[in-house]
Amino acid sequence: MTWVVWRQHRAEGLILLVVLAVISVFLLITGLEMANSFQQLRLSNCLNLISRESPCLGRIQVFDNQYSFLLGGTTLLLPLPLLLGALVGAPLVAREVEQRTHLLIWTQSITRMRWLTVKLALLLGVVLLVSGALLALLYWWQSPSAQIRGSFISRIYDTSGPVWVASALLALALGIFAGALTRRTASAIFLTIALFVAIRVPVEVLWRPNFETPVTITWPIDQQEPPALSNQAWRFASGYIDAQGNRSSDLREGCTGEMTTTQCLQANGVQANYISYQPGDRFWTFQWIETGIYMGFSVLALFAAVWLVRRLN
Amino acid sequence: MSTALETTKLSKRYGRTWALQDCTLSLPAGRVAALVGPNGAGKTTLLHLSVGLLEPTVGEVQVFGCSPLRQPTEALPRLGFVAQDTPLYKSFTVADLLTLGRKLNPGFDDGLARARMQKLGIPLKRRAGKLSGGQQAQVALVLALAKRPDLLLLDEPLASLDPLARREFLRTLLDAATESGLTVLLSSHIIGDLERVCDYLIILSASQVQLAGDMQEIAKTHRRLIGPRQDVAAISSLHTVIEASYTERQTTLLVRMNGPLFDSSWHAQDVSMEDIVLAYLSQQAGDRLQTPLSAREPQEREVLK
Repeated sequence: MTWVVWRQHRAEGLILLVVLAVISVFLLITGLEMANSFQQLRLSNCLNLISRESPCLGRIQVFDNQYSFLLGGTTLLLPLPLLLGALVGAPLVAREVEQRTHLLIWTQSITRMRWLTVKLALLLGVVLLVSGALLALLYWWQSPSAQIRGSFISRIYDTSGPVWVASALLALALGIFAGALTRRTASAIFLTIALFVAIRVPVEVLWRPNFETPVTITWPIDQQEPPALSNQAWRFASGYIDAQGNRSSDLREGCTGEMTTTQCLQANGVQANYISYQPGDRFWTFQWIETGIYMGFSVLALFAAVWLVRRLN
Repeated sequence: MSTALETTKLSKRYGRTWALQDCTLSLPAGRVAALVGPNGAGKTTLLHLSVGLLEPTVGEVQVFGCSPLRQPTEALPRLGFVAQDTPLYKSFTVADLLTLGRKLNPGFDDGLARARMQKLGIPLKRRAGKLSGGQQAQVALVLALAKRPDLLLLDEPLASLDPLARREFLRTLLDAATESGLTVLLSSHIIGDLERVCDYLIILSASQVQLAGDMQEIAKTHRRLIGPRQDVAAISSLHTVIEASYTERQTTLLVRMNGPLFDSSWHAQDVSMEDIVLAYLSQQAGDRLQTPLSAREPQEREVLK
């Protein structure tokens, strides 16, 4: 059965390998350069300094200017799991039924369930290995940027922890489920994309900031500078607190030029400034929580796929 | 004699339609059987139920005493199946397909498969998708045969083949059947080509078995009776009338004889297998002539033809 899986998927495997090889070479070359720059700019001395007068700011600026385009390119990696789900996952059952080859393969001497479990085990195993290897490379590649900007920026967070691997497995599992459900490759691909987005986006936007209760710090309005905060912290909300304890991000009325900031804030009834954030040391906890969520959905999708294939006729 | 395939009240329903209903039959081992019926009679359903691709709604199917669905590890190695339109992995070469057969079947006879491919002149390096329809059918058949099954089921294997490919296909099949004493069940909507290769006939119509038995026995017991215009009450008390047609003076019947013919007013003729099949197939659903013809309105009898 292993041979059959290999023979059937070697074309997709080859495409995937070429894509990965290109990405890896690119990451290696640019990664070495970035690490080099990071060292030359002596940025490792700058990681805990936030004050505005720090000479570090200029050096960070240099690094940012040089690499922001490159770093932003990481976003292009995010659809990679989806490619896997659409190319390998969706056709897994659907193409067999479309081309009626399920009638051939399910009437050999091995049972339908054995066919499915071997196929799932091998494909999931390969995806786990390959995405894991890419993750190791990405983690190293992102680390200079992560040290400066913090690991919670979504382009870093999504590609330098187990969430990356879980995301690939989720896309594959959803693809297999969609294929078993629709039994048509084309519709299965659309369904895979829809399901993947429907799970990932709410988790990322709504759930992730609240995996653990955020830390909120406040400071008086006459103090201009917020308290120093590690650059690893994930700041996702800031604004003003009024006498009743209500939080808002905007002022009711604008400030005129004659007022000082403090006067303006007082006029708006603001009692204190606040900032909400997730401390940087929660990175791995968050990664594992999100990994757990995606794995949960993956297991669900796979069980549903197995059930559908068992009943398929 | 042992039984290769046995079904008991086997029924399959899709939504509200019964694809197969109350199908009870038993196919003795060693036979080459034709499963004949019009399109939509339930032939594919019966075959798919027999290889465990489908789960029965009601009833049971057993292959050499095993349920293909509940005991697949025992039943599957003993079954060979060639599906309709002989699906193959189009991107696989013929050699790849043989490797697939070898990897997935413990008893796969690689030597036999290669020998047959050579005899048929099918190149091992050619991709399945590039073969002609006839060659694809041959490859599917060889794959199923090399599995060394005890029961081989084929779903309309001849439908898409030209006459020459048909003959070659049936020759390969018959060679294998006589060599290894394998049981074959072959479905078709026409009897034509099957008459020469099959020795057992199952007629399936309107999702039910109309007739099942030894081909020679069927040929022997079915007669066309021609006589003066008369009521069929007398004859249907002894024999089973399958089909009746009338002209002004003459009555023509197709009868299953349940004994010798005593009434000398009838003239008996041999009848071709094709006519027997057609007679059974033209019976209406649910109208299996269990009630004697005489009990019906004369007008209805006119329509029976």
